[in-house]
Amino acid sequence: MHRIKILFVFLIFISLNAKANEAKNWLNKEIDIIISAIQNNDLPNENKFLMVENTINNNFAGTGIAKFVAGKSWNGSSKEVKKEYIKLFKRHLALSISSMMQGYSDQEYQLTNSSYDEKNKVTLVDMEIFSDTGSIQVTWRVKKSKDRFFVIDLLVADISLVVTKRSEFNSMLKSVDYNLSEFNKKLLSQNESSYQKITN
Amino acid sequence: MNKLIHIILTFLILALSPSIFGAASDEVKTSSADFETTTFEDEIYDPLEGINRAIFSFNNVADRIVLEPVAKGYKRLPSPIQSGVGNFINNLKLPLAALNQLLQGQGKNAAESSGRFLVNSTVGVLGLIDVADNIGLDQKEEDFGQTLATWGIGDGFYIVLPLFGPSNVRDTTGMVMTMMTDPVNAYAASQGQAWAIPVKTAANAIDQRSQIIDEVNALRDNSVDYYAAVRSSYYQNRKAAIMNTDDDVLTPLPLISIEFE
Repeated sequence: MHRIKILFVFLIFISLNAKANEAKNWLNKEIDIIISAIQNNDLPNENKFLMVENTINNNFAGTGIAKFVAGKSWNGSSKEVKKEYIKLFKRHLALSISSMMQGYSDQEYQLTNSSYDEKNKVTLVDMEIFSDTGSIQVTWRVKKSKDRFFVIDLLVADISLVVTKRSEFNSMLKSVDYNLSEFNKKLLSQNESSYQKITN
Repeated sequence: MNKLIHIILTFLILALSPSIFGAASDEVKTSSADFETTTFEDEIYDPLEGINRAIFSFNNVADRIVLEPVAKGYKRLPSPIQSGVGNFINNLKLPLAALNQLLQGQGKNAAESSGRFLVNSTVGVLGLIDVADNIGLDQKEEDFGQTLATWGIGDGFYIVLPLFGPSNVRDTTGMVMTMMTDPVNAYAASQGQAWAIPVKTAANAIDQRSQIIDEVNALRDNSVDYYAAVRSSYYQNRKAAIMNTDDDVLTPLPLISIEFE
């Protein structure tokens, strides 16, 4: 009976490990696409960003993150305002990640570890980015839905991108009485400014 | 009997193995609760926000004009020089780190930090070379702010300190305690070399800032509210440092739903 228990635990471990590795391999491929787009010196900056944005939009749970970040302002808004907000948020997310990845583009990176969190159905993939003087750890949170993987969060040195965005948006939303339509104007303006910086 | 065990085992494996019934367990449904229930953005108590924002703006200008350019210049130095400076500064922090580890009941870590200090100060040429890292003595930082938190003292309210940046009442108290008890500072003062204290603080700031140039710029360039973004980042980072756990375990997991358009 003891052997059966060991076999049972072993099979579960193998199964969770396979799941984590599957996500890790998928993520490795997608990060390579982003990095090679950023490193491609033949492309103008606008095209580089569009390639990165396309990859991010395809692989991040953009709509879900947008809703989460909007917090309590989401429910009182009209369909059109929500649609506009999601569009603006997706661009904002792409600009944020693209800007961060630009800084890492000339550094070596390695996906070091992956584990499957059974309780939350989330795979955590650790990435180490090396510089001459040290390294920084990035953790990707990946969720599977309808046989596809989606990134739901990114942690850089213990700081979650999604939690930070929620806190930041909440502060700005408070200043416009949680009016998502008013907030969209601010987000549009921020996106335009970020886009200028990233493409120049 | 063997057959029965075989059937039960097969059933259990099928029922519990997530890869076999993966499709069902991965089904993520949209629920309005996903984006309504979490309130961790409201946890930061910031009654001095107006004053804090003014100091933050000043710090931001100081960073752009002084610290960032100096950190960028420092980053251009040959990497052995940067590593040497970083190692030297980190080594000076170890006596207090060991003390705080002891105060937090982390005997093993305290012994490791003491070992690190001993090895790096001698074999590592006054701490310029991190020899201890190669023999498995990892750097684990602890400060008085973390010790006070471990003893159950709450954050207090959020404060932005001129030049020193984001903090809170507890961590500011911890910082003052560090300044008062640091044996390196005490030694420098007793030798009539008190000028070395601000130099050490400035060198530490430059070294730390040089390691996060890209991250700070990405945050600054892409934030709708940079102040709130830094405040949230500070709290997340401190929480992780206090808990001494992996970031992926510690940070509250946002319940993100996946939707298809």
